[in-house]
Amino acid sequence: METRRHYMALGVTGLAVLCAPMMLGSGVSVYSAAVLIAIFAIMAYGLDVIVSDLGEVSLAHTVFFAAGSYTTALLSTRGGVGSAWVTLTGAVLVAIGMAALIGFVTLRLREFVFSLVTYALAVVAMTIAANWSFLGGSDGIRGIPLLDLSIPGLTLTARNDRELWPYAFTLLALTIYLIDRFRHSALGAAAIMVHLNPRLATMSGIDPAKVRLQVFLFSAPVSAAAGWLYAYQRAYVSADLLENYFLILMLTAVVLIGRRQLLGPLAATALVLIQEKFFSLGGNVDKMILGSVLVAILAFFPQGLTGLARPLARMWTRRDARN
Amino acid sequence: MNLSQQLINGLVMGHAYALVAIGWTLLLGVARLVNFGHGQMYMLGAFVTWWAVTKAGVPYALALPIAMCVGALFGVIMQRVMLKATLEQNLVSIMIMTLGFGYVFSGGAALVFGSTGEILDTALSRREITVGDLWMTWQDAAIIFAAILVFISLKWVLDGTRIGRLVRMVAEDPKLAMLAGVNVRRVYYGVFAFEGAAVAFAAGMVAPRTPILTSMGFDEVIMTFVVVVLGGIGSVTGSYLAGIALGLFTALFGALVSPAYTTAAAFLVLIALLVLRPGGLSAGSAGGVH
Repeated sequence: METRRHYMALGVTGLAVLCAPMMLGSGVSVYSAAVLIAIFAIMAYGLDVIVSDLGEVSLAHTVFFAAGSYTTALLSTRGGVGSAWVTLTGAVLVAIGMAALIGFVTLRLREFVFSLVTYALAVVAMTIAANWSFLGGSDGIRGIPLLDLSIPGLTLTARNDRELWPYAFTLLALTIYLIDRFRHSALGAAAIMVHLNPRLATMSGIDPAKVRLQVFLFSAPVSAAAGWLYAYQRAYVSADLLENYFLILMLTAVVLIGRRQLLGPLAATALVLIQEKFFSLGGNVDKMILGSVLVAILAFFPQGLTGLARPLARMWTRRDARN
Repeated sequence: MNLSQQLINGLVMGHAYALVAIGWTLLLGVARLVNFGHGQMYMLGAFVTWWAVTKAGVPYALALPIAMCVGALFGVIMQRVMLKATLEQNLVSIMIMTLGFGYVFSGGAALVFGSTGEILDTALSRREITVGDLWMTWQDAAIIFAAILVFISLKWVLDGTRIGRLVRMVAEDPKLAMLAGVNVRRVYYGVFAFEGAAVAFAAGMVAPRTPILTSMGFDEVIMTFVVVVLGGIGSVTGSYLAGIALGLFTALFGALVSPAYTTAAAFLVLIALLVLRPGGLSAGSAGGVH
């Protein structure tokens, strides 16, 4: 009964989100913001699993995001691949390959050293992307065709952000569903156990290294799928995908609302993007706001905004009880 | 390629790397802290020096201490915000917060100083020392001299004075140091103020070598980290030698292979090092705390 109500609530929320751009006046900028929110939220969900469930902070998820975009760009321009299904498969496979490599190399590293090495990988990836002519160098890759997910008998294309929105929404919903399934799976439970007490996990027959690698392999394609859609949305890719903006955005999205809140990364991404798109104070001030939010949350509300809400709620109920 | 000239370039760059890294040497090596906004603080130091010299008309020799004061102030503010995580020795949290600070600094600097490139010119950077067909600027010579001086002073302070002993006590065990009556907070503030002042000084010295941009700083923290880890965390002398080694490596790699990939090459070496002996670093950076 409880789960059915839970899913009904999620369904209603989903429907409301799907229709939100329409209710907000169907403007071009509204759809464009909605698509970007969906894409960046998906990107953040990949990291969310690592941070919230596994308890490690990977700073290499921009690499998976960029890998998804670059694979899509290379396949669809130089490879001449028209079907976005093929590019999606390619993006996911490349991300899994890279995650296997990175995961295997960093298997023994924990906490700070793990974060540090993953940050280093992101920086190395950026210098490679900006300099290697195969990846377009500093110009990047231009001329990515429109999204085409057509299957025999059904044409599914998107020419602009408005037409892209249903696909972005579907991918987002699918991602949230997958994250929810993951948290209810044996792997999700094992991840939490490895996170909270690795020794206990080992005693109960769980191999922490294996769990960490598996969670890594699960999370990378999620961020890569966001990169795949972003390549179509922007129609070009360049080394700026590896810039600190995406890293800071991703981290903020994961910590702002609170760990292990299913809709947390989506809500946080929406807050950040709505500020940047509709209440922008100029690019540089926006940067300062985003950076400050990240610092302030970690410094003063490590539990996120829900951690802030809890004592408030308690105060409220206490006052009610007194009345 | 003129090998001797490349070696001279390497030596100058090496001393520059070591000088830029000195704040981190104390930060990670001694106090077990990190600052990933280091590169952006370098950028700020360079721009404050540039502003003081070209806009405020202050002589270069006075612009450096001004930049150092600004750097120290930013260091103290950062440490104030991160104090809780610092006392808990939560390095991951400190790392992300300092990344956030760096992001704030780059936005703020672009707002104040604009996003176009500037040249920080000093009287020393325009004059050259020439021996045969080899050359360096007086600024380069000053970098080498300053780096040596700063390293000797730091080593002397850490090994031979009461302040140095306090810093090492806090690094060894903050809780026990607190019980022993050491004002741990003040030491942490001091360490971050030193980091801010040192990187601003280094920026004022090194930045005249290249055009300065508010978007720069991404690389500095990486090279700094390579210096501190290669040098063996906690070793002041090691950092100095590692800086020179990295300078020579960068100069030769840039001349022989490709200047574009030097950061990547230096970092791949570091990653290999970290992965092959992760215990070495974690024992150094968080040992006895977790």
